Formats: sequence, structure tokens, C-alpha cells
Amino acid sequence: MNEKRIQCPKHLDQESGRGLVEQIRSEGVAPRQTLVLDFSETEDMDTRGGAWLIELANYVKAQNADFDLAGPKGHVAEFLGLLRPSLVSMPETPPERPGVFEQAGEATLNTIGEFKEFYHFLVDTIYWTVLAPFEGRGFRWGSFLDELHEMGVRALKITFLMNFLLGMIVAMLSAAQLQLFGASIYVADLVMVAFARELAAVMTAVVVSARTGAAIAAELATMKVQEELDALRGMGLHAAQFLVAPKVLALVIALPLLTGLGMLAGIGGGAVWGLVVLEFRPDIWFNQTLNAAMFSDIFQGFFKAFVFAIVIVLIGCHNGLRVTGGARGVGLMTTRAVVMDIFFIVFIDMIFAAFFYYIL
Amino acid sequence: MAKKLKEQKNANGPVIRVRNLVAKYGDVTVLDNVTFDVPRNEIYVILGASGCGKTTLLKHLTGLIPATNGTIEISGQNITGMDEEQLAGMQRNIGIAFQNSGLFNSMTVGDNVALPLREYGNMEPRLVNAVVRLKLSLVGLANAEYKLPSELSGGMRKRAGLARAIALDPPIVFFDEPSAGLDPIMASGLDDLILNLKHLLGISLIIVTHELDSIRKIADRILMLDQGRVIFTGTVREAEQSEHDRVRQFFERRPDEHITQRNI
Repeated sequence: MNEKRIQCPKHLDQESGRGLVEQIRSEGVAPRQTLVLDFSETEDMDTRGGAWLIELANYVKAQNADFDLAGPKGHVAEFLGLLRPSLVSMPETPPERPGVFEQAGEATLNTIGEFKEFYHFLVDTIYWTVLAPFEGRGFRWGSFLDELHEMGVRALKITFLMNFLLGMIVAMLSAAQLQLFGASIYVADLVMVAFARELAAVMTAVVVSARTGAAIAAELATMKVQEELDALRGMGLHAAQFLVAPKVLALVIALPLLTGLGMLAGIGGGAVWGLVVLEFRPDIWFNQTLNAAMFSDIFQGFFKAFVFAIVIVLIGCHNGLRVTGGARGVGLMTTRAVVMDIFFIVFIDMIFAAFFYYIL
Repeated sequence: MAKKLKEQKNANGPVIRVRNLVAKYGDVTVLDNVTFDVPRNEIYVILGASGCGKTTLLKHLTGLIPATNGTIEISGQNITGMDEEQLAGMQRNIGIAFQNSGLFNSMTVGDNVALPLREYGNMEPRLVNAVVRLKLSLVGLANAEYKLPSELSGGMRKRAGLARAIALDPPIVFFDEPSAGLDPIMASGLDDLILNLKHLLGISLIIVTHELDSIRKIADRILMLDQGRVIFTGTVREAEQSEHDRVRQFFERRPDEHITQRNI
């Protein structure tokens, strides 16, 4: 019988374990040979010694040889009994990474799945926000007011500040160019048109997506992870009714109002530059501003804000409800919500710009 | 290592010594003048009704919350006066298994166990993998190395948490509510595992629980808290023969007469 017998040390620990492994590695083990470790004189072992045994077992099995333990007693036998699964089986290998085609297939299926989920979510949301209140199935007005306060009132300062500063920046940039033609007064027109049509809506939406969109995604994701959403369903309540509908209505009202404030703040920022640095008389500056104000421009700004509000709240809720895993999943979905928000805000804005350029 | 373990096993004196520990949250006293010793290589169970201060005591013993007053000695070192760095050094010599396992969900079970080994183990990389397999074998999870915590059952997660707690071979291991939320078969298996680890690794375990079956099976000694005070220390047999009304009530599973008022 092709057997190689090795005596194990009296105390199997980190040092003696390493020595044993190195001795056997240097002597080598032939294929189909059985390496018998004789524990008859081993009185004690610890976990590091046990780890070296696992390392040794892996080496022996990799050489196509067999591994056996002989004569362990008492404490050592009990220890080896617990280690047996790791000693007799080959170590598990990490799961293989899927190939390119598998990854592409999985991504496609995920995307289709996400569209289906979004469709169901959208139908639920439209029903519970728009139709259910008229059918007497209830709308949570208390939650709606809380959300309105959180999304609207508490965002007033940051919205004002961001638009005010942007107004000054636009005035500075345009003044530098228009001064060359002696047309500095048109800075007032430019700031008015830019904020009414474009900048107030986009800047406010970006601020709100970073603030409210992220909060919505994180809140719903955490609720899902902590089984609060299951608890709602278990009580026969709908997440769309309970959580989503009040948020949709609140942001659809709050974001256009914030955008209105943003328009005023931006025009105010431009005016500060016009009056203090360009030294225009207030009545001339404000007349110029009012003359530039067109109803259609202001309507565009508010309409965009309405659309952006729906986009932000739907993306936030959709991502929050799709979370899997724990803390990391919550972080990933929150980031995804904000990135998607900003992408869609800019993309939809571009579509609006093209629409108004070619059609109106 | 064997020598070190032997020294620890043979060394005399308690492994934890607590004197006059007071803990307050604001004006509320959660632990009031708590004094006890945890003997070496024993399973010491801290028990008591919900809200009696068990978890607070465990957090003090592991250095997670500073004491308001009193001293806590872990392996002869007073941890109440320690700065953050010294505390971190002490915490490397203890293992903590949390009630909800505390595993990092973004890592595999193997990586969870390997984390303290890679950070503090000062160990050659090839041995890290072997130690991970060994610890997982010790808790009966030899095949779960590449699984994510979310793929494990509640009992398996607790065992994985225990494997991580013993990764660095600490002489003292704390375990918060090992049986909570487990079925009787799983809970009993975990009790056997705890007994095995104490016996094979020579560690001292401090376990917070109020599962009577578990206490009867594993506890060498118990400490019972009631409203922040120690009302009993001794063996389970002594506790069952105790004249103290609250202790008897606990072991006889008698409800409070004023249960609603107490719970409020």
C-alpha cells in the first residue's frame, strides 16, 4: 500500500504547523499516495495549527494524493472532528463570473423587468393620486401637508440662494460681452428670459432632486429593507396610496412654486449686479426687465417645473422600492435616483427647447 | 499559540471584574452600582426581563459606551480610563457576536470572517483563507464561504457572526441574544456550538439572553439584573432555589401582577 506516515508535533500551533507543512512540501507527495498524519503523540492544538492542517490538506489534494488522520485522542480528536468538513472536501471555489453574453442577457432581462415594474408602479401611482380620491378611497391629506412642508417650505432658502447666485453669474457673463457693443441694458432682458424659460426651472429641479429625490429614494429603500413595506401590504394597505401619492401631489405643487421663487431670486441676483456694478437707475432696469417678460416664457418655466416634479418623485419612489440587500443597496439606489433625476431633467429640458424652437 | 492559550487557561483570577458600575442616559439611571466577576473559561449568562439593562451592560463591557461611574477590568486592564486607541487595542482581544449578526451585507461570509484577520491578524495571506475555512467549519458553515449574508437563514447568520467574533482567537467572546428568533432545533444547535467552543478553544463567553432552556443548558454561572441592579449571581441551580421573589418569578415564568404598568 502506497502510504506515507508523518508524525505530528506534540503541540500543533502556528509555528509547528508551519514547520509540518514546509516539511511535507519539501519532501513532496506522490499522486495516489496516502499521507497519514499520526496524531498519537499530539496533546494539544489550537486554531492556527488547525488552519495549517487545512492548508496541508489542500496541498495534498491538489497533488492528487489522499489524506488521512490517525490516532487523535481527547481534545485533539474533538477539534479534528469539527474540522473534518474542511479537511476532506476540496475548498470551494468562488462562483465564476458570467461571460459577456450572459452579462448582456442579464442586463436586458433586468431592463425589461424594470420597465414592467415601472409600468405597474406608474399605474398604481396614477390611480391612488388622481382617481382614488374621487372614488372616496381616501387620500392622506395629513401626510401630504407634512411632505409639502418638508419638500417646499424647508427648501425655500437653498432654492433662493442658488438662483440668486446664478442670476449674478449670468449678469456678469453677459455684461462682459454686451458692454463691448454698448448694450449693457440688455443684460436685464437676458436674465429675465433665461430665468423665466430655462434657468430657474432647471436649477431648482437640480437642487430639489439632490435634496428631495435622494431623500425619497433613501426613505423608501430603508423602509423596504426593514420590512416596513411588507408590514403595510400585510395590513392590506398600498405603498402607492400610503407613501407615494402624498409625495407626488406635494412635489407637483411645491416645485412650480419653488421655481417661481427661483425666477424672482435669479432676476434679483441679476438686478443687484445691474444696479450696483453696471450702475443703472432702478426704474430703467426694472422697466427693461418687465418689457422682456413674456407670458409664454414664464408659462414654459412653470410647465417644465411641473414635469420635472413628476419625474423626480417617480424616479425617487421607483428606485427606493426596487432596493435589494442592506445598507449598500440603499446607498446604490439613492445614488442611482439622483443620477437618473439629473439626466432626465437635462434630457427633458433639451426636448422642450427643441419643441419650442421648431414648433412655437 | 497553544502556549498562550494554556497560559490563559491556567491563569488565575476573573477575566472580567466590574466594580460599582453606574450608567446613566441623561437623568435616567440604567445600571445602578453593578458589581460582579466573570471567572475564566466559563459561560457567564447575563439575564433579566426586557429593559432591565442587559444590553447596556454588554455595551459597557465591550467599551462601546463609556461608564458614568465605576470600574470595568477586562483581562486585568481597567477600560474605564482608556482613550480611544487603547480601547481599540482592548477590543482586538475580545469578540462580539451581535443579536442581528452585524455581518456586512455587501461582503461574502468568508470576507466577513477574513476582515479582522486581514486588518489585525498579521498573518500570511495563504493562511488567512485556511483560518477562514477553519472558523467556518467550527461553526458548521464550511460550505457558506462564498455566500452573501442575505442568502443565509437567521441561525446561519448568527453562526457566521460568531465565526467572525472568534476570528482573531480572542480569549473573551460576548454574544448578545444567541437564541432570539430561532426555532428550538436551531437554538439548541447553537447552544451545543457555544459549549463546544468554550471547551475546545478555552474561551470565556459572556452571553446575554433570557431563554430559560438555553440558560439551563449552557450557563456555568448567571447574573440577574432587575431595573438596573444586580439581584442575583451564582449557578443556575442556586438561582432555581433562590428565595428572591423576582428570581423565582423569572425561573417559574410567572407573569407580573402589574404587567401593564411595568411595561409602560
